[in-house]
Amino acid sequence: MQVFKAFFKILYKNKMTLFLYIGIYLALTLLICKLMGTEGEMEFSNVSLDISVENRDQGELGEALVDYLGIHNHLKDVPEGREALQDAMYYEEIDYVLVIPEDFTRQFLKGDSEGLLEGTIVPGSSTSYLLENEVENFLKTAAMYLRSGVTMEQAMEWTRKDMEEKPEVRFLEQTAGQQLSDRYYFFQYIPYVYLILMILGVGAVVKSFKNKDLEARNKCSSMSFLKQNLQIFLGCMVYMLVMNMIFLLMAVLNTGEDMLSLQGFLSGMNAVVFSLCALSVAWFVAQFARNTAVLNMMSNIFGLGFSFLGGVFVSLEFMGEGARQAAKFTPSYWYVIANYDIQKVKDLAEAGTVYQSFRMVLVFAAAFFAAGLLVNRMQIRSR
Amino acid sequence: MGKIIEIENLVKRYKDLIALDHLNLSVEEGEIFGLLGPNGSGKTTAINCILALLYFDKGSVKVMGKEMQPDNYEIKKQIGVVLQNVAVFEELTVQENIDYFCGLYIQDKKLRKQYVEEAIVFSGLEDFRKFYPKKLSGGLLRRLNIACGIAHKPRLIIMDEPTVAVDPQSRNRILEGIQKLNQEGATIIYTSHYMEEVEQICSRIAILDKGHCVALGTKEELKSMIKTGEKIHIEISELQEIQMEEIRELHHVYQVDYREGMLEIRCSGGKHNLVHILDYLGRQEISFGRVYAELPTLNDVFLEITGKELRDSAEKTL
Repeated sequence: MQVFKAFFKILYKNKMTLFLYIGIYLALTLLICKLMGTEGEMEFSNVSLDISVENRDQGELGEALVDYLGIHNHLKDVPEGREALQDAMYYEEIDYVLVIPEDFTRQFLKGDSEGLLEGTIVPGSSTSYLLENEVENFLKTAAMYLRSGVTMEQAMEWTRKDMEEKPEVRFLEQTAGQQLSDRYYFFQYIPYVYLILMILGVGAVVKSFKNKDLEARNKCSSMSFLKQNLQIFLGCMVYMLVMNMIFLLMAVLNTGEDMLSLQGFLSGMNAVVFSLCALSVAWFVAQFARNTAVLNMMSNIFGLGFSFLGGVFVSLEFMGEGARQAAKFTPSYWYVIANYDIQKVKDLAEAGTVYQSFRMVLVFAAAFFAAGLLVNRMQIRSR
Repeated sequence: MGKIIEIENLVKRYKDLIALDHLNLSVEEGEIFGLLGPNGSGKTTAINCILALLYFDKGSVKVMGKEMQPDNYEIKKQIGVVLQNVAVFEELTVQENIDYFCGLYIQDKKLRKQYVEEAIVFSGLEDFRKFYPKKLSGGLLRRLNIACGIAHKPRLIIMDEPTVAVDPQSRNRILEGIQKLNQEGATIIYTSHYMEEVEQICSRIAILDKGHCVALGTKEELKSMIKTGEKIHIEISELQEIQMEEIRELHHVYQVDYREGMLEIRCSGGKHNLVHILDYLGRQEISFGRVYAELPTLNDVFLEITGKELRDSAEKTL
């Protein structure tokens, strides 16, 4: 098993690069899982703020505005004194303080509404702008009705009605409306790191063995070329399995019992199937790699290219139709689709679309392997 | 001892270029056989055909009595190869490299360990066993290249220009090593365009030019094939044409050249040639300075047979 042993010695020489990728990837993925895995964006709703309104106006408009703001927000008493107000805002007990001045209704009817209202916001708070927006919308709508000649009472009623109409909000992301697990996020980015690790690991070894002079010396030996290649192949498979074991173990540590469920099993299978494809891509790429710089370049081209195009980093919903059609020609697209479909699987009988994606990834694996063999054959013939 | 290699009518073409043109050669077991020729003469192509690394167009190559084929592993087991370019793994240490290549032939771990150790000692790499090839000098790298090729104790060792770009000290060590391997029973085929090396270690020599074997024999046989028996050089400040003609008329003298104050006289055998020439110069009252005589070299053989300098043509093709 000389070739097999040499395979791992050469791989070991590149350990720093590989461990660096694994370490950074795992750290980032675990962080993403913690940030996104527990709270998915399930639905759209208006933001409710804690506000205080001091209404000094005696007219109907001021009163109607307070009523309206009270529908969506929590009205709180205005703290007495400047210091108490500042404290309340500092400790985020109140997001916004609105002062409706005396004679507000009269001034408004005269058409002199600019700068009438006094608002105090928490510095740097973006949510306060939402409230200003609400107030502005209310007043603009009311002004429109009043200008058309209806009574104040009628105008207030219609305005309130208009304001209560909620727009329908639909999410672009297919994952919206569904609670996505830590496991989903953990496995989502696997294609990138697998492609990089396979290309840099296997590529470095194959590159060495494909050195023209070393290849000649190996061919002169009494060990058949087929036997040598089989040992390299075995090395590749062991490397692939070790990589899978590391990532699946991390998945178990990260997601716990979830990985022991049917969905966890399928997620693991998805990663293993993709690793086979990444191995084929690495084999193909290694045929062209003359040195480490070329190998690094290729790993970035294939790793980032397949990941961006295949929807690993950027959700497929944000892609144009053309880009989505093109994405279907990358194995990572089918991996991402499978990873999403797995979330919906309750038993194996429902996993038809997942199996379909597995098959597509395997087709890509076979295609890259065959292309690598063809290039290898052509290179040998050209010598 | 029988023939270890027999090459008959070997023809190898690279598209329109004929690299080997009906080459016939045989190597006896136990000898150091030199393949001499300038770059592009077909030495490496011949070696690659012997090793079944290249398919050839015509002819046959027999190694140890059997037709050489890429899958003839029983024969390959008994061959050691030291290729022209250093072929070792950059990622493996000196010891790991030797162990790797030895392991392709020797399965027994204990025996392999012993062979690897012997190869390290043989090539003088004891102090560098944990070094990676990048850290080795050119000479040490060449020695590692040789150690990788001979560690499994082959019966036949093929060395393709193993001393290219090596300092004189390492070169001498390598040449001594080759002679030692031969004394231990290995047959060696040694290719080079350095005639001094071939002259120093080879028992039989084949001179290749344009894919042909233009001369074959021991160095004495090769030298006897040419006219030149002795070359005499005399420093003379001035020499007239008529005097040159008279020197040319002297017995055994067949070529006289006078260039930049140096008279070169080639004699075809005979004795006391220098005495006769100096006697003539004395009679003519021609004053002379430095005088030296030398026996013909393989370069002279090559020059006479092919009409060109071996070293010059080698360097021009580089």
